[in-house]
Amino acid sequence: MASPRIGQRPYALTTPALIVIAVLFLVPSVYNVVLAFQKLTPYEPVGDAVWVGLKNFASIFTDPEIGSAAFNTAFWLTAVTVAIRLGLGLGLALLLQSPVLQRWRLRGVARTLVLVPWMVPPVVAVACWKWIFDADTGVLNQFLVDTGLLSEGVPFLAQTSTVWWSVITIIVWRELPFVVVVLMAGLQSIPKEQYEAAAMDSAGRWQSFVHVTLPNLRPVIIVVVLMTVIQTFNNFVYVWLSTGGGPGTYTQVLATQLYSAAFVANSLGEGAAIGIVMTALMAVFALVYLRVTNEREGGRA
Amino acid sequence: MRPGTDRRRPRDLLVIVPTFAILFVIVFPVLWMVFTSLRPTTALAARVPWSRYFDGLGFGAYARLFQDSNFAWYIGNSLLISAISTVCTVVLACLAGYALSRYVFRLKRTILLVVLATQLLPFVVLITPIYLFFGELGLLDSYFGLIVVYVAMTLPLAIYLVMGYFNTIPQVLDEAARIDGCSTVGVIFRVVFPIALPGIVTVTVTTFIATWEEYFFASVLMTSDKLKTVQVGLSSFFGEYASDWGMIMAAATVATIPTIVLFSVVQKRLVAGMAAGSVKE
Repeated sequence: MASPRIGQRPYALTTPALIVIAVLFLVPSVYNVVLAFQKLTPYEPVGDAVWVGLKNFASIFTDPEIGSAAFNTAFWLTAVTVAIRLGLGLGLALLLQSPVLQRWRLRGVARTLVLVPWMVPPVVAVACWKWIFDADTGVLNQFLVDTGLLSEGVPFLAQTSTVWWSVITIIVWRELPFVVVVLMAGLQSIPKEQYEAAAMDSAGRWQSFVHVTLPNLRPVIIVVVLMTVIQTFNNFVYVWLSTGGGPGTYTQVLATQLYSAAFVANSLGEGAAIGIVMTALMAVFALVYLRVTNEREGGRA
Repeated sequence: MRPGTDRRRPRDLLVIVPTFAILFVIVFPVLWMVFTSLRPTTALAARVPWSRYFDGLGFGAYARLFQDSNFAWYIGNSLLISAISTVCTVVLACLAGYALSRYVFRLKRTILLVVLATQLLPFVVLITPIYLFFGELGLLDSYFGLIVVYVAMTLPLAIYLVMGYFNTIPQVLDEAARIDGCSTVGVIFRVVFPIALPGIVTVTVTTFIATWEEYFFASVLMTSDKLKTVQVGLSSFFGEYASDWGMIMAAATVATIPTIVLFSVVQKRLVAGMAAGSVKE
């Protein structure tokens, strides 16, 4: 593989990319840790930063809002949407794999249509749903009123009883195609012989789903859950643009809390401290998750 | 498939009807966006009976969008920023991807790990330090600043993808070109690049889409109205033109056209690649 006179060539080729990555990822990450122990507003030069020790952490941990933001992030934003995406995604992947669609030559159309939300930028996704959910002239309210299910329009994104499910609808809608695509690939990789063997043991559809499909999909599901959890946990745009964390602070999540602390309350140190808490939570999650999934794998072998 | 069950049966509708009902719900918001953008303002402001939903369709909302707002500017900004970031990312990814694909060197594993690690780091967390650095360096509110952020943001994935494509190209070709007197950079861009072109197109398109869709950094780093990107401009309409849903949906439609077109170009490859990446692990 290696030719005799490579010398510094691989380093010369990788250096430009590494400089960009170092300057924009590594240096800010390290500086973020420093900043978490300082007091600074966005309008002051970096030199004016004052060391305040653990004060930023003390103030975010005594703030009752951080607890609810952490709960909202872990439960509503991440756990609920990932679970729904996985359930719907698996159902849809199975439907799209069905030989019936192939027989009617509808598989291609169906597989393209399912990708549509993925082609839409997230900001546009929020715009579309804000309009559908609109209390006065939104199509959903108009439909519900005209069919007599509601007596008057509901501000779905502005009242506490409906706001989380509305935000969840937006997220699941936009992010579902990715899960469907990956699970379909997983389904296609299952050897046909296993289904034939199950059929010979006179296993029904449900039994072959439980004993052939699910165990074979397990590694794929493990990867999908890890990827979607990390992405969603850190997501800012959906909550920020659909509710702004409201009504009040009812849908505040850690990412919007970070933004508000840093750029609305003008305390960059607190923003940095929230960032560290987020990174730590995700690191702990990833470690525990990988350990638990590996252990089960080991027990199986 | 047992023989003889290959024919189409009425029972098939039990699968086809629910599937397409679900697909209709999935596609509906996008259809509704385009439809709304074509409807007259008067029809959107008041409740219109269902029978008169298709009255008076036209391009009025698009005319308002380009006359009354700075949306044309935003499009220009986004095109410029996305195009330049994409070119930079692809060039840098080709150089680094070639090195990682062709050479065995001491820090190779470390470099691959660092590149991978960046993908686990939450982007939101970087905003405070980057905002401060850019303030010190005078890079807030500048094309250059946002482009640098976008190159860094898209580079790690691009390096991995390009490396994968280059791995599939036999090294004999490099050596032949080198004997003919080609430099390393020449080998990369004149020999390997053209052969890996279908893959490079996929990387280019995904990079362009990622930068075109980005909202968070653009909204924090670009503060003056004339420098807003399409996504930030669109989001600012939510408050500013909250009653003119026709115009907001027109802006949303325009913001979606590039991503839909580009996505369609690489759909097959992209989907296959995504799927392979996740299934392999």
